Amino acid sequence: MFRTALLRSARQAICAAPRCQAPIARPVARSFLQSKQTPPAACFQAVRCYSAHAGLAKQEVEGRIMDLLKNFDKVTDTTKLNGEAHFHNDLGLDSLDTVEVVMAIEEEFSIEIPDKEADAIHSVKQAVDYILAQPDAH
Amino acid sequence: MSPPTPALRHQVIKIYKELLYLGRDYPQGYEFFKTRLHKAFASQKDLADEAKIRAGIKRAEFVKKEIEALYYLKRYRTLRQRYDKA
Repeated sequence: MFRTALLRSARQAICAAPRCQAPIARPVARSFLQSKQTPPAACFQAVRCYSAHAGLAKQEVEGRIMDLLKNFDKVTDTTKLNGEAHFHNDLGLDSLDTVEVVMAIEEEFSIEIPDKEADAIHSVKQAVDYILAQPDAH
Repeated sequence: MSPPTPALRHQVIKIYKELLYLGRDYPQGYEFFKTRLHKAFASQKDLADEAKIRAGIKRAEFVKKEIEALYYLKRYRTLRQRYDKA
């Protein structure tokens, strides 16, 4: 499947190429082995894959995490909630609550955070930084 | 929970997470389950003895199996009821 697509795009690229370099008397029917290596790169760059990283803005990530914390029933003092807030010191969450928050973040961004990294997330800022570093976060 | 033994701490957090995932479909609701679970874990936070922590983890594993069994039983009863009615 992929090979036929590759060959087809290579063929198209060859057909398109002589139009812009008309004066050069290059033989159109080059061997496929040669042509397969060069033109597809230019061709495939134009295509944006569905799996490509859409890119999350820092503000958006921060806003979503803040909303999530606002709805978290154990966060009573929402005035202290800001981008720098520490889960334990500022929001009064214990380590078990932190686990719950991290689980909620995992769900919100549809990723899975390994235990070791999850253990290192203690504040809103750390969570935001971690999410921004993940290419597959949504 | 257990600062001197990080490996045990990870185990505790792991079982806590697993229990939380299981609690999503708890008959009395997730909120009910979550508060109870949190209380149960928080009441054991002063455990410092490694053997006691291990015993606590064993207990958590046991509870996990109990919850699984509860779900199976619930499913069984529902199906049974439906088949009996028809």
